[in-house]
Amino acid sequence: MSTTPAAGGEADRREPLPPLDSPPDAARRPRRGWKGWVGVIVPFIPALVPAAIVISVAVTLVNASGLHNFGWGFFLPGSSANPYGVAVEIVGSFLTAVPALFLSMILGLGIAIASVVYLPTFITRVLDPFVDLLAGIPSVVYGLWAFIVIAPIFGTVINPWAVEHLSFVPGFARSIIPPSPTTAGTGLPLAIIVLTLMALPITTLLIRDALRSIPKDLWESGLALGATRWEVMRRVGLRTGSRGIVSAAFLGFGRAIGETVAVAMVIGVDARFPVNVYDVTSTMAAFMFENLDSAESHPALLQNLAELALVLLAITLVVNLVGRRLVSHIYAGEVAGI
Amino acid sequence: MATVLDSVTYPHGLDPSDDLRRGNTARLRWRTGFDRWIGYLLPLLFLVALVPIADLVWYIGKTALPTLTFTVISSQNSFQSYNALGVPLISTFYILGLATVIAVAFGLFGGIATAEFLSESAAGWVRMSANLLAGMPSVIVGYFGYFAFVLYFGWGYAIIAGAFTLGFFMTPYIFRTADLAFSSIPRPIREAAYGSGARPVQYILRVGAPIAFPQILTGVFLAMAIGLGETAPIILTVATNVAVPTNLSQGATYLTYLIWTGFQFGPHSVELTLAFEAAFLIVVVVIALNIVVRVIAARFRRRLEGLYQ
Amino acid sequence: MGVAIAIAIILLIVGVAVGYVVYPSVNPSKTTTSTAKASLTETGSSLFYPLMTRWAGNYSAATISAASTGSGTGQASAILNLVNFGASDGYLTNASSDNIANFPAAISAQLIFYNLPGVTAHLNLNGTVLAGIYDGTITNWNDPLIAAANPGVTLPSNAIVPLARADSSGDTFLFTSYVYMSDKAWPYGAPSTASLTSKDSHLTGETGNSGMVQGASTTQYSIAYIGISYMASAIADKLQYAAVGDNASLSASGGVVAANYILPTGGATGTIAQDANLGLQELDFGTYGMAVSLILGGSWAGAVNLVAGGGGSNPTAASPDPYPIVNLEYLMIKLSPTAGTQVSSSNLAATVTFLEWALSTGNWAPGSSPSTWINQVGFLPLTAEVTGYDMQILASVST
Repeated sequence: MSTTPAAGGEADRREPLPPLDSPPDAARRPRRGWKGWVGVIVPFIPALVPAAIVISVAVTLVNASGLHNFGWGFFLPGSSANPYGVAVEIVGSFLTAVPALFLSMILGLGIAIASVVYLPTFITRVLDPFVDLLAGIPSVVYGLWAFIVIAPIFGTVINPWAVEHLSFVPGFARSIIPPSPTTAGTGLPLAIIVLTLMALPITTLLIRDALRSIPKDLWESGLALGATRWEVMRRVGLRTGSRGIVSAAFLGFGRAIGETVAVAMVIGVDARFPVNVYDVTSTMAAFMFENLDSAESHPALLQNLAELALVLLAITLVVNLVGRRLVSHIYAGEVAGI
Repeated sequence: MATVLDSVTYPHGLDPSDDLRRGNTARLRWRTGFDRWIGYLLPLLFLVALVPIADLVWYIGKTALPTLTFTVISSQNSFQSYNALGVPLISTFYILGLATVIAVAFGLFGGIATAEFLSESAAGWVRMSANLLAGMPSVIVGYFGYFAFVLYFGWGYAIIAGAFTLGFFMTPYIFRTADLAFSSIPRPIREAAYGSGARPVQYILRVGAPIAFPQILTGVFLAMAIGLGETAPIILTVATNVAVPTNLSQGATYLTYLIWTGFQFGPHSVELTLAFEAAFLIVVVVIALNIVVRVIAARFRRRLEGLYQ
Repeated sequence: MGVAIAIAIILLIVGVAVGYVVYPSVNPSKTTTSTAKASLTETGSSLFYPLMTRWAGNYSAATISAASTGSGTGQASAILNLVNFGASDGYLTNASSDNIANFPAAISAQLIFYNLPGVTAHLNLNGTVLAGIYDGTITNWNDPLIAAANPGVTLPSNAIVPLARADSSGDTFLFTSYVYMSDKAWPYGAPSTASLTSKDSHLTGETGNSGMVQGASTTQYSIAYIGISYMASAIADKLQYAAVGDNASLSASGGVVAANYILPTGGATGTIAQDANLGLQELDFGTYGMAVSLILGGSWAGAVNLVAGGGGSNPTAASPDPYPIVNLEYLMIKLSPTAGTQVSSSNLAATVTFLEWALSTGNWAPGSSPSTWINQVGFLPLTAEVTGYDMQILASVST
């Protein structure tokens, strides 16, 4: 053959191939016995393990909660009919996760843009892994540090300053009954800061990946038109990387709302609606974590907790589903373990 | 045809180079100046991320190092009344080791199978399930472990329940890394193996495994780093034990459990001293493992590129 | 290269593992392992926890793992055979229906701590005032009621932050018993271990005595009820304790008599143990099923006087000023084993052995003085009558 395989396209298109018939002798075609089918099915079984685990988790929680028991009353704040209403926790979760997501997205965008656009490579090669390292620090350690070191700062410096200067803003005024803020410093502000720190490496990593994968020619064309780096990033980069950025938002939110131990340590778990921005409250994950041992002797509370777990699981699954679907590469951030 | 570059145009049909052409130096200076200053300001945001972690590591090191003597690390006294880390370290080792074995058992083969045997669409679903499992909050996995292993299977608050719970939590990371490792083996090598008549198992064992081994190892280390720092799956499924456990149905303790207890007891307590020591050890190990993972991953990437030639 | 690193790490891990296994045989004195040592578990009262860990750390015939989860969890876990001892500050009524015995193990007390910057004196507080603070009728520290009982002390005008236990707590039981006895009109009713925060959301909740100490020390102008076993850490955190008022302090005329407000230190708690007539036969578990020694005149239904002839308004010569909030610590133990659970036959036998040790060496040092551990936590050892009662219980345990 004079044509090389690499140019095969041309050669193949010159004459149409005959249509494929069934094999000449169907009877002589080797049958795949049961051993063959086993050989086909068996390799697929281990691949189903993660799905099986996720489904088992859902099924176990549904079973443990006895869904029919509470009905819609489950979501209402505690009453005599259902003393374990979980509205407080659900509201608390969103009250902490949404501002944390907002802050970590802003910071993440800033850091990612700085890293991709402005900083020279030799610096980003060093600094980027440091930020990714933030993701590896365990939640308890964050909580311990925040509780011991940062909470007193909030209680004695930041909260009193805010009360003094910002009390004209609704929600920022001091409350007497219940007393908030106290000098302990635990409560919503500290929880939001801790969650921001924990969601930050995720948002930064994903936005950085999204921005780095912008085609170089797009970038350079913008610069060639005379736009500054900031303008190109703002008008071209963010739009092109928007899928990755939105995905970062979803996954960061998933992390923030699922964060358990660090929040339990800094939010001063008290199941009441916060009366102002400094107040203590509870989140779903923290509440679930703190109350399982006292639910041993209260079957109703146990069912309640299991149902709360289902709510949290549903939220996390949806958020992760949407977030992952948006990115094109199969596993985002695999090295950082996100 | 509208392209994304159209967004670079300015209102009134101007484009960025207009300022230069029309000599609108004021506006040009403003734009360039803004860009310059943003270029100074945005990197400062790095500090927002780095200062807390530096402070965290520094504070924990400063508090824990003076108390971390060899006696403390090796003492097998009851850690509930003495500053003794021997039992928690051994117990952590047991539980984490068991959990890693379980995670590898459940995750490795699935990852390889996904890379080798599944079609792209099926693989997409399976990878999505692994991502979902990875994204589940630790407290949910802990609840699952409690209801399934402690209650339903009747294992009670035992190591075996905790190991399985933690193992399931760690599974998706090993799954993903195995999948990626085998997916990134260069096609020519794969096709050469199959073309030479290898059966899939032969390919996996003799060709794929040696090539993918470093990356899978990084996955195991990563999973171990994550498992080391988990609290909820352990606290909810394993009872405390001040002695080294001798069989799988006993309770055990964990380094993160020490931290949680220290938080509960607060300053001037031996529990808080233990908490800081445990936190220090965990941070050191996690950072070390992360560094090792990155080094191996970088070398693996370079090796793969070498394999292509 | 990566393989080399991996092998090095695996060797390191294996080396550490081998080291841990080999170390006890190289240093035999450092090991605590022996053949078939029973592994017992305890959970429950945070007030009892410091004593339990000290006992467990110094008892070598079995390993005892303690947990501080609150009296309610202690009772529930003991009933469900999840632990060998459930510790509780409150007596479990109808224990026999769950095959459980209430085993008094020590005598404890409860203190009222507060965090008032600038006030170093021990404030005089009694049940009426505390009821007012916790139900919200007394809101500021310089309230007339508090000022009347504390002449000469400059009280700040800040709002009081009352801390309560959010978990199911024997300390809450103790505190509400004291308050209820002083002020029957207080809105939260009869004493119980249920958390006050679930009844009143303006109270700040803390978990465990340790949480109360931490909460009080970080929250200025707070007040908290904390067990005596946490006194040392509370004082180290710059908290101050109150002199608690007895029966005579409740009437207007007795309000400011210093003698009617008793400090928990020194002789006050100590006098109780010396008194005779501490028989448990006198315990009336009637309405509240709890042996609470509220020595405020002895006429409170269900309360028991650990002091002969009552206290407070009719003190005996031996105990002129007993501290009002004193209590028995109970360990719940099963009376017979259940195979396949933590309360197995061998574990129950080990439990009995430990309890015999606790009654003797745990409570009393040679020479009729309290053991070091009892002294360290500020408790009192059991008296002869209570010990005798306990021995009867131990004899009835079938292993």
